[in-house]
Amino acid sequence: MSEDKSKTPVVKRVRQKQPGRLYVKAVFTGFRRGLRNQHENTALLRIDGVNKAPETEFYMGKRCAFIYRAEKKKQLPRRQKPTKIRVIWGKVIKPHGRSGAVRAQFKRNLPASAMGHRIRVMLYPSRV
Amino acid sequence: MVAAKETKPAEGSKAKYTPKKFIGNERRTISGKKILERARSQHSLTKEQKLKIKKRAVSRRSMVVKKPRFPRAYMTQQAKRKLQLRKKQCYKDHKRTIRASITPGTVLILLAGRHKGKRVVFLRALASGMLLVTGPFKYNGVPLRRVNQRYVIATQTHIKLAGVPIPKQVNDVFLKRQDLKTKKSVDKIFTEEEKKYTVSDDRKKFQKKVDTALIAAIKRSKKAGVMTAYLKSMFSLSKKDYPHEMVF
Repeated sequence: MSEDKSKTPVVKRVRQKQPGRLYVKAVFTGFRRGLRNQHENTALLRIDGVNKAPETEFYMGKRCAFIYRAEKKKQLPRRQKPTKIRVIWGKVIKPHGRSGAVRAQFKRNLPASAMGHRIRVMLYPSRV
Repeated sequence: MVAAKETKPAEGSKAKYTPKKFIGNERRTISGKKILERARSQHSLTKEQKLKIKKRAVSRRSMVVKKPRFPRAYMTQQAKRKLQLRKKQCYKDHKRTIRASITPGTVLILLAGRHKGKRVVFLRALASGMLLVTGPFKYNGVPLRRVNQRYVIATQTHIKLAGVPIPKQVNDVFLKRQDLKTKKSVDKIFTEEEKKYTVSDDRKKFQKKVDTALIAAIKRSKKAGVMTAYLKSMFSLSKKDYPHEMVF
């Protein structure tokens, strides 16, 4: 064993640095609706820290994701291992009201059970 | 009496001249530009010129080859086409623009991909509109790489790139992703081993060349220690960080 070490230099296994959070936290508050009718194709999100309509300009067009777990493992394209984590992707389309809420449309409508739960608003496509 | 035009064939020969009025079996489309040109040129003609043209047309009518009895295809009514006045460009000719905030030497934050969160130095915009970027490799493991500007935040931090050579051979073709999957071939019964990606020597050579100069440029800059630590660190949002209030 020691002979091997002298011949080949011991390669230090450097742990890949993990980045921290690269998304903004948001909550799915409900679907776009009038009092008695709701339209599930558009979701309303309340983004953390955004309390006024002018502040929402930064988030327009940003991609958002609803991440959830399922019971069965599924193989995703371009990924090696099957996983229980699933995503519904969408994007922020326009502001909603004066207090910083925002409308988003997802590829598939969000399940109603997601109301009150976390949605990630990514920082891309970036315009900064 | 008919004035001889350059294209008119010698008297008596019918051979080469193909009159334009002959509707063959191909569909003819006239571009909008030509229609407008023709209208403009007609405007500028004098009476004499118009007479000449008429006479020429009459003489040429005799040269018109008779249409075959049963044409191979009957020309159906040509759909009304809009005048195509503007020439449409294909994608490769489109103009690629880079955001004004991204200039050579800007430190960028990568937002997606395997290097997400890392701060890298922008070197050059490539012809495809992507950004050529490097870590430097020693600092954060990002090699000479292409990055889409939409997945990047441009910070206001700059490094002066004076004296950093950016080789011209490093372009879109050089940096294109290699297809490792072997194509299915009918004759081969046994599947070949999957090729593993190895870094080519060219890449290592260019990387070394650019990085040594870049690291020297970083060390020359103001607050070199801070800059080095900055590039080695990763970006992330913490509790009270709101990107819409941040100046990057």
